[in-house]
Amino acid sequence: MHNDEKKEMKWIYEIIVGSIPPFSLLPYRYSILLQLLLLLVIGLILGFIFDLKPISLIYGSLGILVAVSWSLLILQLGPTLRKFRAPLSKDENELLERYRGILFHRNHYEAVPGILIFITFMSYLFYLSPQLLDFWLGKYPDIVLLLFVSLLIWDICYRMGLGIWTSILALWRSIKLKKLAENRSELEHTPYTELNYLRKLDINNVFFGMISLLLIPIIQQDRVLVAIILVFFIFIILTSFASAYIVSKVPWLPPDIYNLVMESSFAYIGNALHGTTHVTPVVYIFDGQRIFFNTSKESKKLKILRKNSKVAFLIDTRDMSNIYENKAVLFTGEAKIYGLSDIPLRFFQMLGARSLFLKKYPEYTKKYATSDLPKAWQLTPIISRILVEIKPVRIIYWRGAKQISVPV
Amino acid sequence: MKIPHEMLNILYGNYFGYVCTSDRSDQPHITPVFFVYEEPLQKIFFITNDRSKKVKNILENPKVSITVDIRDTKNPFNNEGILAQGTAQITEKGPIYFLSEETLGLYRDIYMEFKGKYQAVIENRPMGENDVIVQIKIEKMVYWKGPHFKSIKLG
Repeated sequence: MHNDEKKEMKWIYEIIVGSIPPFSLLPYRYSILLQLLLLLVIGLILGFIFDLKPISLIYGSLGILVAVSWSLLILQLGPTLRKFRAPLSKDENELLERYRGILFHRNHYEAVPGILIFITFMSYLFYLSPQLLDFWLGKYPDIVLLLFVSLLIWDICYRMGLGIWTSILALWRSIKLKKLAENRSELEHTPYTELNYLRKLDINNVFFGMISLLLIPIIQQDRVLVAIILVFFIFIILTSFASAYIVSKVPWLPPDIYNLVMESSFAYIGNALHGTTHVTPVVYIFDGQRIFFNTSKESKKLKILRKNSKVAFLIDTRDMSNIYENKAVLFTGEAKIYGLSDIPLRFFQMLGARSLFLKKYPEYTKKYATSDLPKAWQLTPIISRILVEIKPVRIIYWRGAKQISVPV
Repeated sequence: MKIPHEMLNILYGNYFGYVCTSDRSDQPHITPVFFVYEEPLQKIFFITNDRSKKVKNILENPKVSITVDIRDTKNPFNNEGILAQGTAQITEKGPIYFLSEETLGLYRDIYMEFKGKYQAVIENRPMGENDVIVQIKIEKMVYWKGPHFKSIKLG
């Protein structure tokens, strides 16, 4: 993507409004807030001048509130995608460039759904269902009032359109990305931070969908419109959830490291306290997304981890016959210790980790279970064997003597 | 203090160790290394590149630890290993031709010992210009076999 395009990444309406003072003088986000605050003030003034019912003012304000919340959610797309680092896979990079390209296209396709919704709704409002207008503004409203309400309706319809546009594109991008990720080779991948951004944007869209329910009181009289809002709500929530879910299944480790972590049996965990380091072998599991090891609650490493959660976690293959083909990966980052207090919220995750341990180390589990071991070593899961998750910040990968730093 | 024979067996019988260093902020770092053990000195030696992270860390904080272990995927009771904690010293960080006679001698001895031990592995690898020798003076050692632990303190 060229730099000038990258700097832009704005939608047509935002560009137009952003070029009129005083909005042009403010940072992007504040200008949107100011714009909607102005709408609110003008709305209230008009309401008093034309002596509208209080309920009309409440409906109007509710509409403005929806538009503001939607703006704030959806406007995170541009800045987030702008700081996006390029995936280390040609195909995935191309896909994300295309996604950005369509999302912020020069021809501003993003305005199309909004315009269609606006035209359809206005025709419906004026020709098919005039009682709704009466309900809002009373009989024979002033033209100024009508213009103002139309502007408000446009604000909402435009953003509804953006919501549809962004969530369809997000779902398309996630499905494609998942597919491309299956054909990666060696060190190709999209870093974890970037995948996380995508997931967060999708979750934003779920909230976007929820906010649409606030429109229901405004159009409650009209069953058709209520049904349409509900369909919109369900559509946005489902596509955004699906998209977030699919992104969460995209491996954040490149295949070389993924396979190493999947296939290797042992890891070494290093920690440090007041300058003294400690390194010991552990058994661990990897569910494709997260890495866990478990340890006795009496162990030295756990005592250190409780005071300093910074860890180094090394997984390697050790083939003595061919040392220069050996592979190793080092994760440095933070450890999260799972305790009793995590059970309510993370019960299934902990159970899943436990069953992976049983599957990966069946003999270990049997041995631990059947002997008269020191108490700390006995396999009373969760209580005396403590589950710890590794949250990497940096990844170093060695293939033979070659060292490669892999972005997280 | 004399090091018990089961610990010595591990130190002599293995090629490979995992060295853990840490920086000023207690962020640990691990790398696999080839090492040799010298009994009279009770020191562990390894050769590394002077630009490596572990050298950088050792210059910030010389306290290091190293684990050497035998691992068994089937039976945890066969797992056996040692964790040695001690102070690391880098012998003359810098190109090899600037080293003092004494260090160069040490370097050669260790390198020859490496060569004897890992003939197949480092045969085609000459001593590198940026290589430095790291020696770890063992101060404390933990030995385990299965669930049983034993620990000793040295000097």
